[in-house]
This record gives sequence, structure tokens and C-alpha cells, in this order.
Amino acid sequence: MQRTAALIFCNDFRVLLKDRSALFMLFLAPIVIIAVAGFSLRNIYGQPANRVYVIPIVDQDHGTIAQALIKAVSHQPSIEIAPVADLHLARSYVMTHERAPLAIVIPAGTSAGFESGLSPLILVYVDPIKRLEASMIELRLNELSRQITAIAHRRAQAALAQNTAALRVRLERLADAEKTIQIELATYRQNITRSRLAMESAVRDQIRRDVESLQRQTQAAVERSIAAARVELADKLAAKRQALTAVDQYLRQLQASERDFDRWFADLKAAAGSYAGRIPTPPRWPAPPGKDQLAALSSPIELSFSSPAWPVPSTGLNIRFPRVSLPELKIALADLIPQASTPVLPGVLGWRDRSLMPGKLEVNSFDQYVPGFGITFLLIDVLWGVSVGLIDEHDWGTLQRLQVSGATVGGILMGKMLARFVIGLMQLIVLFAFGWLLFGIALGAHPWALLLPGAAVSFAAAAFGLVIACVARTRDAVLPIGAMAAMAMSAVGGCWWPIGFEPSWMRTAALWVPTTWTMRAFNDLMIRGLPLSTALWPAAMTFGLGLVYLTVGVAASSRFLQ
Amino acid sequence: MDAALVEVSHLRKSYGPRMAVDDVSFSVNAGEIVGLLGPNGAGKTTTLSILATVLKPDGGKVRIAGCDAQQRAGALRRRLGFVPQSVALYPSLSALQNLELFARFHGLARAARGAAMAALEAVGLSERANDAVLTMSGGMKRRLNLACGIVHGPEVLLLDEPTVGVDPQSREKILRIVGNLSQTGAAIIYSTHYMEEVERICDRVLLIDRGQVIAGGTVREIIALAGGQPRLEISFHGEAPSGWYAGLAGVRELACEPGKAVLQFADLGQLSELLQRARACGAGVLEFSVHSPNLSDAFMSLTGHGLRDPVVESN
Repeated sequence: MQRTAALIFCNDFRVLLKDRSALFMLFLAPIVIIAVAGFSLRNIYGQPANRVYVIPIVDQDHGTIAQALIKAVSHQPSIEIAPVADLHLARSYVMTHERAPLAIVIPAGTSAGFESGLSPLILVYVDPIKRLEASMIELRLNELSRQITAIAHRRAQAALAQNTAALRVRLERLADAEKTIQIELATYRQNITRSRLAMESAVRDQIRRDVESLQRQTQAAVERSIAAARVELADKLAAKRQALTAVDQYLRQLQASERDFDRWFADLKAAAGSYAGRIPTPPRWPAPPGKDQLAALSSPIELSFSSPAWPVPSTGLNIRFPRVSLPELKIALADLIPQASTPVLPGVLGWRDRSLMPGKLEVNSFDQYVPGFGITFLLIDVLWGVSVGLIDEHDWGTLQRLQVSGATVGGILMGKMLARFVIGLMQLIVLFAFGWLLFGIALGAHPWALLLPGAAVSFAAAAFGLVIACVARTRDAVLPIGAMAAMAMSAVGGCWWPIGFEPSWMRTAALWVPTTWTMRAFNDLMIRGLPLSTALWPAAMTFGLGLVYLTVGVAASSRFLQ
Repeated sequence: MDAALVEVSHLRKSYGPRMAVDDVSFSVNAGEIVGLLGPNGAGKTTTLSILATVLKPDGGKVRIAGCDAQQRAGALRRRLGFVPQSVALYPSLSALQNLELFARFHGLARAARGAAMAALEAVGLSERANDAVLTMSGGMKRRLNLACGIVHGPEVLLLDEPTVGVDPQSREKILRIVGNLSQTGAAIIYSTHYMEEVERICDRVLLIDRGQVIAGGTVREIIALAGGQPRLEISFHGEAPSGWYAGLAGVRELACEPGKAVLQFADLGQLSELLQRARACGAGVLEFSVHSPNLSDAFMSLTGHGLRDPVVESN
């Protein structure tokens, strides 16, 4: 058994050494993929690289904070700044420079607001497809903002400490002044008390004298008024009595006349007999006293009593107030008031990121990976489909049989490539549909526009499959070579990570693979949300590379098909 | 039967320094089966590929039905049937789908289905019409392979070792089908290294070795050409000493393996002497057989090596 195991062990190595495809997959393929991945991602892991990010900056502030920020950013390692006039130019700059993942706008009033204690915001406009690189720079920007804020705060604190010391001196002087004032106020209070007591005594004496004089004058005036009223009353009573006497005489004459008349009239009537009716009207009775006379009798007696001339108390106090002078404050209070130039603690310099493109800022990771891995698997499937299909047909003999059956070489190649082209396009459509349904990927403003780069890359993959079929020659060789080519093209072309991660030489090389242009088109349409027109050039480049592959493949296939 | 449907003259083809076909000339009449007999690597497949117009010769002419095969390849292909050595079929498609596909390529449009069914009937696979090729046995695949070559009713049928690796029953069917096709007037070129098949179905035989036609004619003519002497095949228990038959006139060794020898001798009268010598050599005779001369003997006689021996490159 041990001998068997040993023989099998040795034989397996012998078989392996004879199998070029196995050796290719065993060593070369992983080395290539590892190299591509390693070169592409080494910046992420902090390995120093000669890459330089360029950040367009729009300075609308022109203040100290703007200058400090620009200076700080420009001193950052591996970062250069590019001053631009406005956001539109900044957007164009980011669009055309792979190394420009974001633009910074320092709004007007940032410095003033910061110095007055507000917390102004720097605006960071991020290209969504360079979100990861932008995040790295945003981390640095965050640190810079924090440092600028800290420096400003330290300066303000130092100024504040100086003002505090000066204020403390002033307060000490104020305390001394207060003591002096307290002493003088005590003296002043004593003087005031004395003056008040003296004044109170003087006022009381004068008021007493004035009241006594006033009482005397009032008494005399009252007595004079009463005497005058008595005289007037006696006169009026005499007049009343005279009027009453006249009325009494009248009443007596009237009663006598009434009795004489009654007798005369009775005699008359008796004498007249039947001529009593012809008796004339009796004589008129004496007039009674007039109404005025009677009214005068009943009217009340009015006395023209006039109020006495009351004495008026003198209003002036003939008091001499003692003079009490205010103590003199020998401290200039203005000196003790804090000056107006007291420093204000500055605010906090912050930043807010926004999307530089019409698309949203926060990129769904599937927006990168659905098209990225979609292209990878499209490449693998279409490459294998065309190349393995041709080689299988060659090996099975069906290719020769088709030729004998009247099929032309061009027709066979075109049919095979067309089939794989359609299959590849359908694969992309299905993957994008699932990505949209399951992962919510963005399909851009016009989802149908994605068909353009999709069709271009499917064509390029089919054409490259023809090249692989001619290079590899056998099925065993096609599988590893095709897989490695698909993976390498995907990795270099930015299907697995943003192409901006890659070093400059690799990005230059990536211009010669269709995946680069296709991913650019997909990113523009899906993540940046740009219109179809932006995808025309990348799609044309992809298609052009496909034509190059097709030319090479057709030239090589004539030999292969023999 | 006299009109030559296929005419090949001074055909040459080389792959680098190796001459695969060297000045080959022959003709095939309608209704005639011509066998190309030779060991592996003799140039049979290259010759057929040139006749099938999928390979350009370096020199010489091929005329099929009076037309230059190279200049009018497109037109001639529909009149040609080609059955390659490999099973040239789509494994995942059904038998019917394979046949229909090749029928359409040969210009049959609406008639493709009917022609496919007829071809399946001819090769005895009607019941397996809808089965995928990959589910079929080797013999069935070979018969279907043949059916794909005849589905369009070709005037010229090129068969490149159509019975390689098949069971005896399938071989029998294939040979019977080929015989039937010749009776319909097709000119058939049958390439093989099985002498028995040639002897059975071919009207004429071309012995090919190292790209050259070394003999041509009917089977009898070729055997006669090679001398027509019987041969003795004898097996020993042990290893016979070298030259144990020495001294007998007209006897020569055709092949020698450890414990076995093939000898050609002049006439049957020498047989008893040969057997006595074999018994006397001490190796112990295990068995022996005496054969009449055949194509294999003739080939060996003419080339010095057997039909089953692969061609050894001289350069």
C-alpha cells in the first residue's frame, strides 16, 4: 500500500508537470490576479504610493478661516489643491480628473461667522462613484476642521485669559474704591442724620407758630360776620311786621262790609217785590292785598350772610436747611467696566457633504457590485461561450461538418458571436433587474440607456472570446486563460473596486480594456445620474475595442479553423 | 457506372516537412465503393478532407461531378456527404435536432424534418429520434454520425473510418447501409484500416502508405499483386530461437513477437516441415493457424509493415 501511495504520489506530480493548463491555474493565474488586486488596493492598506489627489476648492469667503483651511489642505501629504471659480467648474474638474474625488466650497461669511461664535459649515461636494476615496479625504478634512477649530479656540482662550487678568486687576482696584466709598458714605450718612434732626425741629416750631396766629385771625373774622347778620335780621323782621298789620286791617274792613251788604241786599229785595230781578249789580268789594304782598309774607327771611375773610397761612417756611455735601468718588467707574473688545470664543468649523452630481450622495454598494460583477460574469460566460464553443465544435468535428454542409467560416463565427452577444446582454438585463428588485440599485434617469454600454461590452466580450479561442486552442487551456483574462480585465477595469484606487500606470493600462469604459458608463448613468449622452463616448470606446478584438480574432481564426 | 464522379489527380498536401499526401491519383464512379486502406497516419483523412473541400491541397486537382472542387467548393458541398472519423454531433441535442440542423445547412428547408426522419429510419434510430446524443451508446452515435452525412442524399459520400470503436452489430448495420447507398448510385469513398470491411463492401481498393497509393484495384488484384502466398501464424510456450525456420526456400518472416511468429511460405507442401522445425526448436508449440493470403498480407508484403502498425516518421 505504501508503495502504491508513493507511486501515485510521484505520478501525480509527473502528470501535473505535463499539464500546462493546470500549471497555469496553479501559479500564473493567481499571481496575476494577486498582483492586480494588490497594486489596486495597496493604497487602502496605507502603503505609501505616489498617487496625489487633487481637490478643486471654491473660495467664496476669502477670510482667515478660508485661507487657513486652504493652507492646511494643501500641506496635506498626497493632496494638491486646484482653486476654481465656482461649483460648475469644480464639477467639470472632478468629472475629468480621476484623482479628484470631491470639491470643497467655502461659503461667503464662513470666517466672520466662525469668529463671531457661530458654527459655519464647509460644503464638500462628493462624486458618488469616488465615495470611498472621498471618505478618506473627508476623514482628513474632518481632522483639519477639528485642528483649525482647536487652534482658534486656543487663541481665543489665551486672549480671554489676558482679559481675565486685566479684569482681576480692575476688580481689586474696585474693591479698594469700594472701601473708600463705604467710609465716605458713613460720614455722609452721619451728616445727613444730623441735618435731618435739625430741620425737623425747625419745621415743628414754625408750624406751631403759624397755627396759633391762624386760629386768632379766624376767631375775629367769625365774630364780625355774626354781628352783621344780626342787624340785617332785625331790619327784615320789622318789614314783615308792617306788612302783617296792613293785611289785618283789610280783613277787618272786609268782614264789616260783608255784613252791611247782606242787610242792604235783603232790604232791597224785599222792597222790589216782583221787580227784584231788575235790581242792579251790587257795589265792588275792596281789593285784597296783592300777591306780591302775600308772597312777601310767606317768603323766608334771607340774610346776606357773607363768609368772613379767612386768614391765609403763610406758605413759606423760613427754615434754613443745613448743607451736606456728597462725598467725592475718586475712582473712574468707566475703568472698571470691561472693555468692549473682550474676545468671543469662536464657533466650531464643520463640514457637510453633498452630491456633486444629480445622483444621490450615499451610494448603495450594490450600485458598484451589480454592474461590476455582472460584467465579470458576462465576460466569463461570453468568453467561455465563444471560445469553448468554437473549440468544442472543432474537437467534436461539427465545425468541419458544418463547413462541409455549406456553412461559411464567417457565418459560423458571426452566428456564434451573435448568440453569445445576445446571451450576455440578456444576462446583464436579468442581473440588473434582480439588483433593482432585491438590492434597490439605482438605474438612473433612463434605465433603457444601460442597454448601450451593456451591448457594447457584450460585443467586446464575444470578440475577445474569439481571440481567446485562437490563442488557447484547447478546452483545457481556454478555461483558465479565459477565466484569468476575464478576472484581470474586471479587476483592472474597476469592476471590483473603484478604478481610482489603482495606481496611475494601471489606470493608463485600463484604458485598453473594455471593462473600464463600460464601468465608467454604468457609473455615470447609475450612480452619478447623468444623462445618456455621457455614456456615448465610453460605449463607443468599448465597441471600438471590440472591433479591434474582432479584427485580431478573425485574422487568427482563419489559421485556427484550418 | 462508368462515369467518374470523383477524379483525383496528382494530389499533394504537406504539413511542414511531413508529406501527408504525395501524388495521389484515383477516380470513383457513380455507384462504386472505393476503399482507402492504410495504417493510421497514412494520409487517408487528409485525402478525404481535401475531397470534402475543407482542406486546400498543395497541388493536384480534384474534380467532382466534373467541377473543380476548389473553385466551386460552395456549390459542390451540397452534393457531398462527409462522415468524419469523430462523432461530429451536438451531444446535448437530440438525434432529430442534429439531423435537421445539418439538413438545413445542406439546403433542405421544409423538407429537413422528413429527410431527418428518413435518415433515422435508414440507420435504425427512429425510436431514439428525440433522445439526446449523449444518452446514446457508441454504436448508435456512429450510426447517427453516418445519418448526418447522408441526410441530404449526397451524390458523393466520403466516409472516414465510420466504424472505429463500434460493436459488431452496429458495424454490421453501418456496412449494410453503405452498401445500400452505393446501390442508389452514390459514389462512396470508404477510408478504413480494417481490411475485413474493405474486402466485404468495396469494389476497388487503394492501398495507401505514407501518403502514397502503393497499389490499387480489386481485392483479388491486389492480393495477386502481392504474390498470393499463404502464411503461418504460430505461438510458442517459450521464446523460439532465432532462425528456427532457416534453410527452407521461400519462407520469410512477416512479423515476430516474443512467443509468436508470422511466416509466409511458398506453398502448402512446406507446412509439415515448418511444423516439425517448430516442435524441434524446444520452445513448445502452443497453437498454430494457416491462412490464405488477404489484403493485410498483401499490404505487409508491399510495405514491409502491418496495417495496424502506425506510420513511423522517416524524418
